[in-house]
Amino acid sequence: MSDAPPLLQVRNLTKHFNVGSRFASGGRQVVQALDDVSFDVFAGETLGLVGESGCGKSTLGRCLLRLYDADGGRILFNGHDITAMTERALRPLRADMQMVFQDPYASLNPRRRIGDLLAEALIAHGQTDAAANRARLAELMGLVGLAPDHLDRFPHEFSGGQRQRIGIARALALNPKLIVADEPVSALDVSIQAQVVNLLADLQERLALTYVFIAHDLSVVRHIADRVAVMYLGTIVEIGATDDVLHEPAHPYTAALISAVPEPDPLAQTARTILQGEPPSPANPPSGCRFHTRCPIAQPRCAGERPNLSADAAGRTVACHFPLTAGGRLP
Amino acid sequence: MNGETLLEVDDLRVSFRTGQGVLPIVEGVSFVVKAGEILSVVGESGSGKSLTALAIMRLITDPNAVITGSVRFRGQDLLGLPEPAMRSLRGGAIAMIFQDPMTALTPAYTVGAQIVEQIMAHRNAGRMAARTRAIDLLGAMGIASPRDIAGRYPHQLSGGMRQRVMIAMALSCDPALLIADEPTTALDVTVQAQILELILRLRGEFGSSVLLITHDMGVVAKVADRVVVMYAGAIAEAGATRALFARPAHPYTIGLLGAIPRLRGPRLVRLPAIPGAPPAPHDRPSGCGFAPRCAAATGICAAHPPLITHDGHAVACFHARAA
Amino acid sequence: MILVMVRRLGEMVFVLVSISVLVFLIFFATPGADPAARLAGRGATPATLAAVRHSFGLDKPLPVQYVLMMKHLFVTQDLTSFVNPGEKVVPAVLQAVPVTLSLVFGAAIIWVIAALVVGVLAAWARDTVLDRLLMLFSLIGVSMPVFWLAEVANLITQARYHDTWLFSWVPALGYVPLSVSVVGWFKSLVIPWTVLAVTYIGLYGRVLRSNLVEAMNEDYIRTARAKGLSERQIILRHALRMSLITLVSMFGLDFGLLAGGGALLIEVVSGLPGVGELTYQALQNLDLPFIMAAVLYGAVFIVVANTVVDMLYAVIDPRAR
Repeated sequence: MSDAPPLLQVRNLTKHFNVGSRFASGGRQVVQALDDVSFDVFAGETLGLVGESGCGKSTLGRCLLRLYDADGGRILFNGHDITAMTERALRPLRADMQMVFQDPYASLNPRRRIGDLLAEALIAHGQTDAAANRARLAELMGLVGLAPDHLDRFPHEFSGGQRQRIGIARALALNPKLIVADEPVSALDVSIQAQVVNLLADLQERLALTYVFIAHDLSVVRHIADRVAVMYLGTIVEIGATDDVLHEPAHPYTAALISAVPEPDPLAQTARTILQGEPPSPANPPSGCRFHTRCPIAQPRCAGERPNLSADAAGRTVACHFPLTAGGRLP
Repeated sequence: MNGETLLEVDDLRVSFRTGQGVLPIVEGVSFVVKAGEILSVVGESGSGKSLTALAIMRLITDPNAVITGSVRFRGQDLLGLPEPAMRSLRGGAIAMIFQDPMTALTPAYTVGAQIVEQIMAHRNAGRMAARTRAIDLLGAMGIASPRDIAGRYPHQLSGGMRQRVMIAMALSCDPALLIADEPTTALDVTVQAQILELILRLRGEFGSSVLLITHDMGVVAKVADRVVVMYAGAIAEAGATRALFARPAHPYTIGLLGAIPRLRGPRLVRLPAIPGAPPAPHDRPSGCGFAPRCAAATGICAAHPPLITHDGHAVACFHARAA
Repeated sequence: MILVMVRRLGEMVFVLVSISVLVFLIFFATPGADPAARLAGRGATPATLAAVRHSFGLDKPLPVQYVLMMKHLFVTQDLTSFVNPGEKVVPAVLQAVPVTLSLVFGAAIIWVIAALVVGVLAAWARDTVLDRLLMLFSLIGVSMPVFWLAEVANLITQARYHDTWLFSWVPALGYVPLSVSVVGWFKSLVIPWTVLAVTYIGLYGRVLRSNLVEAMNEDYIRTARAKGLSERQIILRHALRMSLITLVSMFGLDFGLLAGGGALLIEVVSGLPGVGELTYQALQNLDLPFIMAAVLYGAVFIVVANTVVDMLYAVIDPRAR
């Protein structure tokens, strides 16, 4: 990227959840949702966060915006350490960091008009001039490809794709610098998904936005992200430029994940490595490299010693004792 | 793939009586499933694909549903069959698995007991024999310790494991036809790959035909022999999977395949999206359902395009791209 | 498991101490409740009053009095009434307990069986005339106050139609211990059982029906249908099994409440000398030792019933284990 300092710097972030109760047979358990996660996001780029369910990608997204408080580590937004900030000190920064959710309908009060729902964010941040707000809302609707008269409608009058546009408009209302989008298109049909992906790309260009794009669909991430971070059981196993990571994966998990994606092409079915089993429980992660229990090339060292996320000789940032060489193919 | 017809769906229509009149959801769907083949019905939400599957199984319990047309299984019309005869087919010769294995199993019983229940409902088997068969089936699903898993409750299993249990249960009475409604949609991609491999392997071992309902063109490409593309309650296009992916003829199929982001090949600056959204059932256009979103639409599209078959490839479009 | 039991026991002791302290304080804060005045009789001289106070320990500080009362209740078990000197509290409660338990157990059996029949039938015939009729009767059952229903039952079976063949077997109001005559015990309780059960049949029947109808829309019911099970198997084995989970917790609470003295109204109206009736008398006389004993007995029952429900839960819902 550039020499400018990153917009977002994440250092050694950890987050635990307590699950179960003392009465449950398993007793109270500590789930390590995030374990020593570090990365940067540069202004104007899109970082894709990918991984399977339970890998911690959504928890990470919420920690970035202080919707969850981290248990350890630091998050610097524009140079400010937001991890220890009071809610009051954080407030002006909140406008710069917004979130788009998978299901915007769940967060839209069904009995209020879209215009009122969108105006809430403006009013909450001190913009109370009704006429100015009205103009701003009309402008927002134009930005996300809806008509100004949609402001007078209720959430149930919109299709899934339109609701996601409303969710995006709400995130844009305060002119944010950073948008964390958590699975923004996974609930949408393919033909609508493409529209929303294109919209996000257009908005990024016009408004100089920075995205953290969380998704389980590698193909969508490949399309929208400049860089990709692959997560497994609360850790980042590989991070790098999208083309590098997805075309020549260095981590065996990345390679397996890619080979598992069914391509919409009956002729493209190559020999594939199918991972056995399912990710272990984050309440009881394996020792050493967390992937070693499912890794097709695991060695004894992998069970004992945890690999750090570091740049290897080939310039790839990967957490693996035996990263794959060029070609990214598993045996 | 001996070409023998197992299931023949002809002009199947499903509509619901509502306060505003009769609302048609499935509007005349016809296809056949041949012995040993995997036929995929693919479509977006609201296309009527799942309802088609439920109608075949006669699992639509809504008293306001109106189902017409014919569904012949081995020549026998299922829609007119008395309920006890239909019941002995369900779970016997025709089995079905569902999208969400989290909720599709009864939480109060062990998964082994639920498989045993189905075997005993159809076979004249004792409990011990049924249990042995259930454990054998779980083993055949690639489960490492089937005896242990059979004694577990659904909530103690992972999503992938539950779907294996569902498939074992579905196959317990050697069905000739397995209807799978979005069987991998709720699963992670690595687990989805395992389940798709399993379905392909089992088709060989059990010789069941599979009617696979999905929204995912990637899944279709991976497992289906033939594919039926549905849009707005009707068939847009149908044909052999390879031919359909190589030379899609309906503007909807073309648009759909173009809109899918790819993991390989060139990265496009913009995804070629289809404008607009699929129509809700109550405001479907009178003619071609896709016309309002179609770049090729003309005045003639206000009429219903007939499904015309040429060389085994069927298209319902007045402006179909020539093969 | 042992840890859980110890925890439960600790909770129970905490609840009992809190309730007893509360009852104690409320009693002494109630105007006109001074037991010494009642014991000494009308127009007693201050000297007599003081003497009575002293002999009953009522001149000691309240915390000391509380500890003494608890000691007499639980350790020496010789706590006596403030109103009828010499009447011991513990034997009186122990005598009343079998009456209440007989009443509540019998009624519970009736209401559980009848509610199962009503709920399952209504759910099976959902949205038909049968369903609507059953739900209407259930609503009427829920709406009838139990004391009124008991009075009406008395009127019919004891007075107006007592001489007809239908009700001539009904004994006079009162309780016949099981040890005296099994048949007499049964006869004396049939009418109260039925009366007490009516409300709960209506309530449980309606809840069960709505639970069943809701369960019938669950995915696992669709799976059960796809397996080729019959409607009877689907309702009884799958839908009912899951619906019982909520019903069991309701039952535990209701049973605990009734057995703990909540059947007061019907005991009084039907002339059954149970714990509820005892409580009623004690409240009328403002007799602290009896109130205390009855309240603590009820609290024990409710806490125990809750514990049993929690354990039953683990049996019927594997997810709760």
